[in-house]
This record gives sequence, C-alpha cells and structure tokens, in this order.
Amino acid sequence: MTAGAIAGGNGPGAGPSGSIYDLGYQSYTGPRLGRRHAIRALFRHTLRVCYGIGRGGRAKIAPFVLGAFAIIPAVVGVGVLALARQMGAPGSVLEEASPIQHHTYYQLMATLLMLFCAAQVPEILGRDQRHSLLSLYFSRALRRDDYALSRLAGIVAGILVFLLLPQAIIVLGLVLSSPDVSAELGRELAFVPPILAQGLLMSLLLGSVTAAIASFTPRRLYATTAIIVVLAVIPVIANVLVELGTEDIARFVVLVSPMDIVDATNAILFGRGQPSEIVQAANLPDVAWFAAVGVLVVLSVTVLLRRFRSIAA
Amino acid sequence: MALISLEALTKRYGSVTALDGLTLDVEPGIVGLVGSNGAGKSTLLKILLGLIDATAGRARVFDLDVRTHGTEIRQFVGYMPEHDALPPDSSATELVAHLAEISGLPANAARERTAEVLRHVGLYEERYRAIGGYSTGMRQRVKLAQALVHDPKLLLLDEPTNGLDPSGRDEMLDLVRRTGTEFGMTVVVASHLLGEIERVCDFLVAIEGGRLLRAAPLGSFTERTGVLAVEVEERAEELAAALVARGLQARASSSHAVLVALEDERPYDAVRDAVVDLGLPLVRLEQRRHKLEDLFRDEPDRESAA
Repeated sequence: MTAGAIAGGNGPGAGPSGSIYDLGYQSYTGPRLGRRHAIRALFRHTLRVCYGIGRGGRAKIAPFVLGAFAIIPAVVGVGVLALARQMGAPGSVLEEASPIQHHTYYQLMATLLMLFCAAQVPEILGRDQRHSLLSLYFSRALRRDDYALSRLAGIVAGILVFLLLPQAIIVLGLVLSSPDVSAELGRELAFVPPILAQGLLMSLLLGSVTAAIASFTPRRLYATTAIIVVLAVIPVIANVLVELGTEDIARFVVLVSPMDIVDATNAILFGRGQPSEIVQAANLPDVAWFAAVGVLVVLSVTVLLRRFRSIAA
Repeated sequence: MALISLEALTKRYGSVTALDGLTLDVEPGIVGLVGSNGAGKSTLLKILLGLIDATAGRARVFDLDVRTHGTEIRQFVGYMPEHDALPPDSSATELVAHLAEISGLPANAARERTAEVLRHVGLYEERYRAIGGYSTGMRQRVKLAQALVHDPKLLLLDEPTNGLDPSGRDEMLDLVRRTGTEFGMTVVVASHLLGEIERVCDFLVAIEGGRLLRAAPLGSFTERTGVLAVEVEERAEELAAALVARGLQARASSSHAVLVALEDERPYDAVRDAVVDLGLPLVRLEQRRHKLEDLFRDEPDRESAA
C-alpha cells in the first residue's frame, strides 16, 4: 500500500502515471456488431432473467424453488433405483413400477411448469413496460419485432432448461447406476428423441401462449392471474362439458387448452402412458393435437408481435 | 450533407397535430430544440429514432431514411428519454452494460465503456447499487450514461434537467456542454427553458404548435431578441415615433411602454435624448430578458418596425 503510494507519487518515473486520473474521453473505435448481436444479447439476457440471474435474491426465489421441486423427485427416484440395483433387485420390474419415468415425468411436472410460466413470463415482459424500458430498447440497434422474438426465444429456452434438466438427471442416473452401462445407455438413448421433441413442443407452446398473454399488461399480478386462468381453467371447462355429455363442444375446448394438448402429445410421442380422461374422451386423431400446437403457436406469436408493434414507447 | 434533414414532416394523433409540415436541416454542433410543452419536441425526437412513424413527410438522419434504416441509424444514436426509464432492481453498471450490448457492442467492450461512461457522468461507488435507491440527479446521470455508452455520433436529449434542483441542473448542463464539445458529438437538447438552451447550445431551433418558428445560430437569436423596454408615464406613441425618426427600430407596445431593438449601445443615447426632447417622465429602462414568451410572441419584427 505504502510502496504503491510512493511509486505513484513524485518518485522518478512518476511522470506518466500522473495522467492516470485524467485519461479524458476515449471515443469507441471497436467493432459495432449491430442488430444480430443485439438480438443474441437480448436472448441471453432473457434466459438469465428466467432464473433471476443478475438480479437480487428475491428474483431467484420462484425459479429456484420451482426448479428444486422439479428436480427432487428425479434425484430421489434415481437414488432409490440405484440403491435397489445395488441390492440386486431385478431392474426391469422395479423400473416399470417406478413413478419416475421419462414419459410420466413431463406429466408430473405439468403443474410446476404452469407455475413457472405464470411467475417468470410476466416478470420478463411486464418489467420493461412497467419501468418504461421499451423506449431504451427500441431506440437501439433493434426492431420492435426483434425485441418481441428475442424475448420469446429466451423464455422458450428458459422453459426448455426447466423441463430437460430433470430428464437429463434421470438419463444420467439410470445409465451410471446400471450394472451394464452400455446396454442401459442404448436403452436410454432411444428415449432421447421423444424427450427432446416433447420438451421443445411444451416450451414452444407454453412460452408463446403465456408470452402473448403477459405482453398485454405491465402489472405482474394481472398477467400471472390471466395465465393461470387460461392454463388451469380451460381444462376444467372442458371437463365439465364432458361431464355434461357435450363431447362435441368439449372436443374443441380441449384443442385450445395448452395443458391438455401437451398431455396428449406426451402420450403420442413416447408411445406409452395414459393421458388425462378429457384427452381420451376427446378421441381425436394424433395429427389434430400437433396441428393445434402449430395453430396456437402461430396465433400467439402474431398477437405478441402486434402488441409490441403498437405499444407506445 | 446535413446530419438531420426534415422535409414537410407531419405527425397527427387523431385530430391533434403534433408536427405540422416541419422542414429543417440540422448541421453538426450542439443544437437546442426549444418550444413550450406540447410544441412537438418529443414527437420529433421519437420520429428521428423510429419510435413512432410520421403521418407524412420525410426524415433523414446521417442521410438515411428513418423509416427504412432504423437499426443502422440507431447504432449511432443515443437517446435520453424525458420520463423516468430505469428499473429499480438492477444496478447502473448492469443496466448500462446490457444496453450497450443491445446497441451492438461486444460484451467486453460494453463493460469497459460502461465503467468509463459512468465515471464521465460522475457515478462512482454508487454504480454497483440498485437504481431504486438513487436520487433524481443520479437517475438522470444514468439515463445520460446509457445514451452515451455506445459512443453515438448523435445524442438526443429530451428535457435532460427534468426534476433537478438548481445545482443538479447546473451540473447536468455542464455535463451536456462538455459532452458536446469534448467528444465532438452532435447533441440535440430539447427543452422548454430557453435559459438552459442558451447556456449549452450553439444553434437554436424553435418550434411551436408543431411548426418551425426559427432555426438559427444562437448568436443571431440573441441579437434579434435583444430588446430594450422603455417605460414612460405617458405618450409612448410619440416616443416611438421620435425613436424611429432617429433611425431606430421601435414600436409602442402600450400607452406607456416602447420596445426598441437593441443591437449596440446606440439606442441608449437616442432614448435619453428623445425622452428629454419630449419632456417625458421616464420610469424604467430595461433590457428585456430572453424569455420564451419574447421569442415566440413579443419580439419586434425588423420589417414592421422599419
């Protein structure tokens, strides 16, 4: 400390260091990467905000608690299985009995996923409106559409991480705890395509639907409520309609219910497992569910883009 | 090539006309955009940024059309909005570095520039704290910093002294002035306070009701707005006539006040002599202050006075 102070003082060679404190303004001559870089930066930023990274502790509570709830069953299930295997239990019997399987895990996570979207999507899209940040974004190297799509892409990626992390834990746990690693690996690799396909489909559908809803209000509470109403109440309506024996109407209601749609595609993609009663009652061809995903995603993205094109900044 | 070029620029909101056929070229320098509230200053800045579209006419920045080349233009434009536009839960460093990246700077450069520009606006240790705890003065500095961080060629400031106390106002104006002169950046400062514009700008653009009132170097403005108000007990008309006879530009604004165009020291002697000749009781002799109202309404016109 003292030595540094002396060296920086009037000793020999202190001449140039005297100007350290006043470099003056340096103009920026480095690269300007423009719109594409801006889009990537906003995507990364959104993905981080999904998990409250770079924010205060309060912003991390919801994503991390929900993330823990999503992961813990996978860890426990894999742990129990590994223990049973060590004790010499016949693997296949136990695995079939375990609730922790790839095709059941997405169903298990449905509620957590809904809560994750309801908590985090309004946080991302409402904050910029609440604090008038849009004028700072739109006055930069971005277009309004770029803003909306980068935010959406970040949200979709955030949901995908949320969905795939537990699945990855299950794959790794099963492979590593197996007495015959290579055989187990081959078995598990067969699950990878449906895991990825269903994960992508869920994050795309729920991300775009909830983003479209959340984009309409700067108020977090309103957006969260609206998301829960859309995701949780539509299935109830469909259920009631089925109970009333009006399957024809119920069939169309189910096709606009994101949670029921992903329940159906889950069973289709994994080729096993039971979807909910409503989905079974609807008795629709496989194609209808995937078409519903496409239509809802396109519709939601259109609404989202229109919203940010017309919003005052 | 003018830095900003407007051609019959018009913006209507329903039946309200915010900009009415504005045609104007802005050359590099520190430019004051002055007008009362609702004159169309913010609307003009937002059109230049592509935040809103004009109803008719054309606007070009760096010789590029704002409608078609928005992102190219905005890479080199910094904007400080009038309203508060800062999230309370992030720190100045985080926010400014993030926005620098959105302006197209690589992540490392964004961090370095952020540190530099926050130092330039006078935020030191506070820059790591959440913005929610900042004073108004500090918030205005952060807003200026985010506009400067990508080293723009053109800086658009909308009411930069909004909400500041007198000393904060002085500091902000000084900062704006230094930014313009030291960085060689073109700065457009929108304000309804002529006094502020006078202190920092070289060039003045006055608009009212969406129309261009005048655009000229500040020097010519002060020259033309230099008005001597002569207050007498009576017969102001006679005094005005006597002053005109002596070769001055003068007119009576009421029965006991005469406004005289003041270009040099000459009118003082002439007024003294005229008052003595007419035997008028002289109440007050005052050089008119440059108030916005003078500029917009009360100014004696050369042509009509001559």
